[in-house]
Amino acid sequence: MYELAKKALDIAEKAGAEEAEIYYVSNHSTSVNFKKDALESAKDRFSEGIGVRAIVNGAVGFASTNSAKDLENTIRIAVAEARVRENDPDWVALPSNGKYPTVAGIFDKRIEAMKLEECIGYAMELVEGTKEVPGTLPTSGAFTRGMSRQLILNTNGVEIEEESTAISGFVDVITVNGDTSTAYDFDVSRSLGIDFRAIGKHASELALSSGNGITIEAQKTNVVFHPFAFSDILEAAFAPSLDADNVQKGRSGLIGKLGEELAAPELSIYDDGLVEAGIESSVSDDEGVPSQRTTVLEKGVLNSYLYDSYTAGKEGTKSTGNAARGSYTSPPAVGLRNFIIDYPQTDLIADTDSGVFVNTVIGAHTANSISGDFSVEARNAFTIKDGALDKPIKSLMISGNSFDLLKNITGAGTDVRKVGGFISPSIRVSDMSVIG
Amino acid sequence: MNEIMQNIKFYDCRVIEGSSSSVILDNGKIEEISRNFMRGAGIRALCGGSWGYTAVEGELDLDRGVLDASKLAFAMDENTPKEEVELAAVAPPVVKNLPRIKVDPRDVPIEEKVELLKNIESRARVEGVHSTKVMFSESEFKIMYRNSEDVECEYELLNTGFAVSAVATENGVYQAGRESRFGYGYEVFENVDVLGLAEKAGKTAIELLGAKTPKGGTMPVLLDQELAGVFAHEAVGHASEADLVLEGDSILANRIGEQIASPLVTIIDDPTLHEFGYYPFDAEGVESSRTEIIRAGVLNSYLHSRETAGKLGEETGTPGNSRAQGYSMPVVRMSNTFIDNGDSKFEEMLESVRDGMYLIGSRGGQVNTGEGIFQFNAEKGYLIKNGELTELVRDVSLSGKTLEILNHVTGVGNDLKMTAGRCGKGGQLAPVSDGSPHLAISRALVGGA
Repeated sequence: MYELAKKALDIAEKAGAEEAEIYYVSNHSTSVNFKKDALESAKDRFSEGIGVRAIVNGAVGFASTNSAKDLENTIRIAVAEARVRENDPDWVALPSNGKYPTVAGIFDKRIEAMKLEECIGYAMELVEGTKEVPGTLPTSGAFTRGMSRQLILNTNGVEIEEESTAISGFVDVITVNGDTSTAYDFDVSRSLGIDFRAIGKHASELALSSGNGITIEAQKTNVVFHPFAFSDILEAAFAPSLDADNVQKGRSGLIGKLGEELAAPELSIYDDGLVEAGIESSVSDDEGVPSQRTTVLEKGVLNSYLYDSYTAGKEGTKSTGNAARGSYTSPPAVGLRNFIIDYPQTDLIADTDSGVFVNTVIGAHTANSISGDFSVEARNAFTIKDGALDKPIKSLMISGNSFDLLKNITGAGTDVRKVGGFISPSIRVSDMSVIG
Repeated sequence: MNEIMQNIKFYDCRVIEGSSSSVILDNGKIEEISRNFMRGAGIRALCGGSWGYTAVEGELDLDRGVLDASKLAFAMDENTPKEEVELAAVAPPVVKNLPRIKVDPRDVPIEEKVELLKNIESRARVEGVHSTKVMFSESEFKIMYRNSEDVECEYELLNTGFAVSAVATENGVYQAGRESRFGYGYEVFENVDVLGLAEKAGKTAIELLGAKTPKGGTMPVLLDQELAGVFAHEAVGHASEADLVLEGDSILANRIGEQIASPLVTIIDDPTLHEFGYYPFDAEGVESSRTEIIRAGVLNSYLHSRETAGKLGEETGTPGNSRAQGYSMPVVRMSNTFIDNGDSKFEEMLESVRDGMYLIGSRGGQVNTGEGIFQFNAEKGYLIKNGELTELVRDVSLSGKTLEILNHVTGVGNDLKMTAGRCGKGGQLAPVSDGSPHLAISRALVGGA
């Protein structure tokens, strides 16, 4: 299909497209999965496909296929769909060939060359890590390595080709004696170097220390969110409001707030497609606009929304390189790149007299993405007393509002972690409502 | 090669081909028309206690796929030998009772679909609504299955449906109303009052603007059919999936035959119903059948694949709940899951709750099956005072322990209603439906402000 992709633009123009874009992607991943402490399966997945955007009279049609023999038909359907639509006065043009940055550390040929036996070895390390902590068992987990090749071509001269790799591992563990408690840990990286044994060990330690939890009174208190918990809440209850498409359509809580002080004055947030070895790093976004670093929040003040080329064209501004696609089967839409939370770092727990530390949350996706309201169940939560973690908490609900939360940030730890593309330390928020 | 194939006890192939299309109308304007064609296969091979799995797309060479999956299984078993997997024996499926379709969505011109969406949009835009989104989707898939036990079968399914959301705003507060329906032919748009649903979505958004956020706490609650259905699916259904039971990640492990719920509660999973989770045979070629997970409060059966049924034995249930998204590796999944009708009337349950909250609709939720705890956000609620519905409230959630809630059920209505949705597990989405009659619960933790 790769060779065909290069011919596809011609086919689209012959079929009547005024502009056209071909997005080709191929993936090959291998995973080794375990249930309890036994390796259960090895999976090899090969996928490739092409998504076509065809523009006729300022209207866009989209179609996709994973079969080479259907490609011509797919292109014709994209053109025919564009013809069904009325002219879109907001359509400007597909991106033009730009000046592209270089991005380091997103391809590791050792991952590409990895044999099944090595994958089995890493999966075993996850399992063995959990065994270093007696009294716990893994329930499930996996090691995965993946390679991807992406090609973006359009009739305005964009021609971007890029290869990337990633490895990841996760493990869920449960305690086997007495009070049941669970925990998980995971990590993902563009290159080799993850300590899988440490991931397994940490998950087990966390499950074990979370047992025999106490109940606490409903109260307003300091909550320290681990990067896992913080990223879940912000991605569900804050990030959607930065999407220019939501702003333009009245579905954002940040409409008309550019230049306003929204958050704690020491908080800055960046969206950055260029982070070295970043999970969301690449030369361009998913429609060929050069990647860049965008200051979203500067010292508490809202500086920019996030744009793809369509939403930027609508406002007469420039794309921030935030076009994203889940796969070749969907047209691009605004999405986050590496999302960096920046706040002065201290020894956070030691600096906290009293409060609650929360490792992970469940239910963040149920948040109201417009109002920012959320209500989540905290997992692996602990009380903080006199600058140290004290007792595990059995069950804890935390409700609040993401915009208020950003105002009430009072500290950050030194434990910066890449949770996929979300890069953040632990964050302390004052005055959070918790119900035990 | 021969050495490898001699050690392969079982293999199977699922080939899927089809297409899907969607039309999205955003604020009355067509935002997207798209169509996707796909063809691919998922191939499994079993060697001793290890599975090998290969997924391929586009032009398929199934013989080569079987060989690749077999090599993976063989290498896994050689590197880490383990207890042999015994698959429960099953009869070849009889494919029958497929949903009959009156109007094939492919025969309806795109212009007519766009027109329908525009009508839906204008009805959702009740006064005060400032933003709307309407989505139409259809998909047609042919699934062909064969395995090393000479089973060969296939079926074709068409799905179509729509979703509408309306957002209203006032003084910086945003609230949304959402409705959706799915079915098996274009006639779903005639059988269901889609315009009425659109208006309901708009009205819900407006109504919620004026709602208060109540104080949370422990109280008696009444759940509507949708939220009670989400509880049946998320909290009970997932914990009954035998793969989680075997992993030690289910609160229902080793409890078959035990009274785990109020005798008023019967929970069923039934893939033969023509609801959104329908299938004639599962991803292992096993004919679908109805399972009573809980019968009158007693845990009766888990949901099984052939592997989990082989491990746990037939007294814990039979296979037929193995499902996969596209050509992914099958996992144990639910289909159409519901709490069966009881005989309480709505007013009686309201009276029994007396002072508490009526929780309505769902904005999703999550569950920890190992510890048996859950959290769901309701779309809205009403305070119940003196056995009567009073003030409308929003941003309310329900959380607690699955087994405690099951035991605290004090009333089950006779107004079962199913809701279509998509369920995520192991990174795969599957079409499902869940439902319940109204449910009265004597004690639950409600989250609020």
